[in-house]
Amino acid sequence: MKRPLEWQIATVSAIKPETANVKTLTLTLPAWLPHRAGQHYDVRLSAPDGYQAQRSYSIASAPERMGEIDLTVERLEDGEVSSYLDDVLVVGDQLEVRGPIGGYFVWEVAQGGPLLLIAGGSGIVPLMAMLRHRAAAGASVSTRLLYSSRTHTDVIYRDELETLRAASTGLEVFHTFTRTQPAGWRGYARRIDTPMLQEVIQPLGPTPLTYICGPTLFVETAANGLAQLGVPASQIRTERFGPTAP
Amino acid sequence: MDDKSDLNRALMLDGNAVAGLLQEVFGIELTASPTKCAHCGAVGALGTLLAFTHAPGIVLRCSACEQVVMRIVETADAIYLEARGAAYLRLERHTS
Repeated sequence: MKRPLEWQIATVSAIKPETANVKTLTLTLPAWLPHRAGQHYDVRLSAPDGYQAQRSYSIASAPERMGEIDLTVERLEDGEVSSYLDDVLVVGDQLEVRGPIGGYFVWEVAQGGPLLLIAGGSGIVPLMAMLRHRAAAGASVSTRLLYSSRTHTDVIYRDELETLRAASTGLEVFHTFTRTQPAGWRGYARRIDTPMLQEVIQPLGPTPLTYICGPTLFVETAANGLAQLGVPASQIRTERFGPTAP
Repeated sequence: MDDKSDLNRALMLDGNAVAGLLQEVFGIELTASPTKCAHCGAVGALGTLLAFTHAPGIVLRCSACEQVVMRIVETADAIYLEARGAAYLRLERHTS
């Protein structure tokens, strides 16, 4: 799509804590454009002395929601942008953003499925936009989400994922907790590996349309595992996040 | 691998992370565009290139052979793009 990518001033209209170090910012945009699930916005902070810092944040909300977007931001240790967004910003503040950006790591209902979504930590964010889009569009494409978190309390969108799973047809959600598990947990309790991937993808057949998002090592483990299981590379799209381990 | 390459690896992103900059330069979305590595011949969407962004410039490497495909350096008044490592970049013609 040919259009200039312009910076605009968004206003923070809501802030929602998701976990201990993750918040969702709702931004009202004067020049809102419909996005594709999986796309991101660039956020630019400027200091009075002219110093600028810029980061990309995935859109968490569905494109069906007009005029505003949600960005979910994980506060990184020493993250000069994420710590400002999560610790300093309050409702009513303004923020310089541009987007929506990206055309590779996107999914729209028309692309169909079956759909396999694999998230490590805050890598869930663009995949959540896909799940919200799927629900908003009333789609029933077979979808499985495998979501790796350190602990149960680190799961972003925990309640909404359960609501979506219960309310929609054809969606199944699998959690794995890599550090500690809640009492009585009977699901996965380790880092993702090929046997886990095999169990999760089996009902989707050999060529699920696959989106993997997370830290680099997580993405490589998942992509290599799926390649071993015979999923064609052309069916796998990946997006790497920063340096945090799930 | 030494500590430095471990750190570079841990901080590595991918072509999606430079989508905004590329769109600023070219005026179109490029991350879905197939790109052929001049070193090994692998073809993949620009979004799949490995991106090293924690330096004064950005280096994009082939995800198959890890050779340099593109380098991008921003200065106060210009953007330099060096793409010797790309044999081609395929841009879809949109009729609209």
